[in-house]
Amino acid sequence: MAEKTFNLTRDMLDHTFADLVTPDREKLLTCIQCGTCTASCPTAYAMDYTPRQLWRLIQLGLKEEVLTSNSFWLCTACYLCTLRCLRGIACTETMSTLKRMAVSMGMEKLSSSARFYEAFRDTVRRHGRLHEVELMATFFGRAKRLGAMGYTRLGFTLWRKGKVSLDASAVNIRGLDQIEAIYRKVEELEAKP
Amino acid sequence: MRYSYMPGCSLLSTARGYDTSARAVIRELGSELVELEDWNCCGANAIESVSYLLSVALPARNLALAELSNRELVTSCSSCFLNLFKVNHRLQREPPLRGRLEEILAAAGLRYSGKCRVRHLLDVIANDIGVQAVANRVERNLSGLKVVPYYGCQTVRPYGEYDGPYLPTSMDRLIEAVGAVPFPYLWKTRCCGGILMTTEKAIGMSLVSELLAAAQGADCIVTVCPMCQMNLDAYQREISVQLGVRIHMPVLFLTQLLGLAFGLSERELLLDQNIVPVSGLLRQLQTV
Ligand code: SF4
Ligand code: SF4
Repeated sequence: MAEKTFNLTRDMLDHTFADLVTPDREKLLTCIQCGTCTASCPTAYAMDYTPRQLWRLIQLGLKEEVLTSNSFWLCTACYLCTLRCLRGIACTETMSTLKRMAVSMGMEKLSSSARFYEAFRDTVRRHGRLHEVELMATFFGRAKRLGAMGYTRLGFTLWRKGKVSLDASAVNIRGLDQIEAIYRKVEELEAKP
Repeated sequence: MRYSYMPGCSLLSTARGYDTSARAVIRELGSELVELEDWNCCGANAIESVSYLLSVALPARNLALAELSNRELVTSCSSCFLNLFKVNHRLQREPPLRGRLEEILAAAGLRYSGKCRVRHLLDVIANDIGVQAVANRVERNLSGLKVVPYYGCQTVRPYGEYDGPYLPTSMDRLIEAVGAVPFPYLWKTRCCGGILMTTEKAIGMSLVSELLAAAQGADCIVTVCPMCQMNLDAYQREISVQLGVRIHMPVLFLTQLLGLAFGLSERELLLDQNIVPVSGLLRQLQTV
């Protein structure tokens, strides 16, 4: 991992940051930089900052540097870091919070992941269950991603095997009104400061 | 024993073979899975990345429905399992959550006490039904078959509720119970990359390639997670081209393997839906 030098100025530091991104700020502050999380992480090799480095940046309050990195977008929620961290830091949960915060501040670096999660959320709102074909179509449409062709080929294989159906309404549940009520209430609660 | 059963979205489509074989195998073992009526998507790994409250409320609707039946809720998908289990865990650990969840569920005319017990299908087979009952039911000789027990991450993590979160053994014991040999595999719980295969394919491909490479020498892989199965099964041709070596590794659901040992037919286990053909494996079984 290449070293990076910062010319720190006071306005780069946001001391409320750690409070917002992790369920337990005090715990995060006890991180001893042992690197067990990084050593456990299957995707650390592709991250701008490894998990260990990310916690240090959060401690310092380098909010923008953290939120514009690709690190947390590559977290698959495998929970190995959380399980192994000798300080009991909620590493995985913090990664999820960073995803939500980066989107709400318009800072997401890997927008493909963000678009995927949103497409997922919207599909479930419409049907109550996941319809994979609709999800993929929405995702590739919104992410304006090349690569859709590769998935079209895979999609064809799955369809030929009888694994997927093209009719999204086939997965609709009866309690769609309950799902809608849940989504609305959550939006209402999350809009409150 | 009767359980409420939530197959989860993948088991209605890409992992239909898992659903069919799970129901068949549990029936053969004398238990019953009663499908939870009108269950909804539990949010997989995606919803927590867009909304914390939604990631609790979606699985909580299923728990509220399941609670009415007084039965334990079993799911065969590791992601559903974690999401459902986490609701109970969080309700205990995060007191302010209870009131907020109550408010959300009330908007949908539902309530949930926090007491419905959540189980993974693997836990039910290994620990309720038990290795001995599985062994007693075997009709077909699988001896000598080398099987990789691949658990993936969320099957046992983070809580390690029913098995070790680093090196679990429940699947190993079931593989032995049907006469096959668990293939020594240190990457049992290494992540398959989950949705990275879709969103950041190069990374997903490298994780899956490593898992498949480490499995060379085995006859097949078994999993208990629809996401793991899909990632390991569906990209082998592409990976072979990338690596320049032919990879041909059937990836079965654990219940498909158990079903084979119980003498169930290929059709009853929907083995023809697996992408890497299992025909070679079946021929091998006839000769042992
Ligand atoms: S394992 Fe825990 S203490 Fe060690 S570097 Fe990671 S977060 Fe810090
Ligand atoms: S949970 Fe995320 S950050 Fe932690 S080891 Fe797994 S992929 Fe890496």
